[in-house]
Amino acid sequence: MTASQTEARRPTLFATILAAGLVIAAAASRVDAAEPALASLLQPLDLRGYRSATIAPGFSAETLGGRELTLTHLRGKVILMNFWASWCVECRPEMRVFEHLHRELGPRGVAIIGVNARESTEVIRRYARELDVTFPLVLDPAGKINTMYGVIGLPTTFLVGRDGRAVAFGVGPRDWGSAAARELIEALLREADSPAR
Amino acid sequence: MARKADYKRFEALGIQNLAVSANLTFSQQTFAESLKLPFPLLSDFPDRKVIRSYGVLNERTMTAQRSFFLIDPQGTIRKKWIIENGPTTVVYSDTLLRGIEEVVGKR
Repeated sequence: MTASQTEARRPTLFATILAAGLVIAAAASRVDAAEPALASLLQPLDLRGYRSATIAPGFSAETLGGRELTLTHLRGKVILMNFWASWCVECRPEMRVFEHLHRELGPRGVAIIGVNARESTEVIRRYARELDVTFPLVLDPAGKINTMYGVIGLPTTFLVGRDGRAVAFGVGPRDWGSAAARELIEALLREADSPAR
Repeated sequence: MARKADYKRFEALGIQNLAVSANLTFSQQTFAESLKLPFPLLSDFPDRKVIRSYGVLNERTMTAQRSFFLIDPQGTIRKKWIIENGPTTVVYSDTLLRGIEEVVGKR
């Protein structure tokens, strides 16, 4: 994988403890500042929206099929990027739904991507065969993409718009086959695919 | 994240918790949501100016050494904890709270 700059591998934290009353400039972005037009579509799925100018971090990585997947090459598509692992019980039902969406909506411009969390190729291959997964499964043996996206709980799923902007994310399973999810995906498909700002 | 559960105990002492790391705000958002953190995460990426200025930058990994600083309303560091073997060491809230109480007094 590539990244323009190397980020800390783990979200190692150190707390600065301030006595109350000191005003600080909070640099952390609020995650509930979703675009107004989409906010109502994110709510039924309990997804957290990003500010409109947030770009999904780019990466290039090998897939289970032996191809290189580069996120920016998917510009123009609506991307559903799901972080998963074979041991994640709640991931399993989602995989079947994602496969269904891949087959049905793939031709219409929806890219489903699974990013595995630190498992071996053999484990991933066995899992994909068992669940008949045909959408791209990105290998992340060192967890670099997981770290870049801050994923510490599975499943976690990110939605990326056709212009490459990060739209929303959800930690934990969601009903991606629901009418609410379909409405959200359709809304994103209707958007223009001009480059993200 | 023992401090998350004990957040109200810090609040009761008039403490505002802030967490700083050398991660993108993008990843911090996911991290904070995953743990439902009640305090802000601040990104010191890519410059790591804050981490370096506090003297806790691990130059090899370019990450912050696990550490805690108690700063008073005038901006003076009153106490600090630098954790050796940070990734494997559990830091209990009681340890921090005791240290804070020594400085600010029990309420």
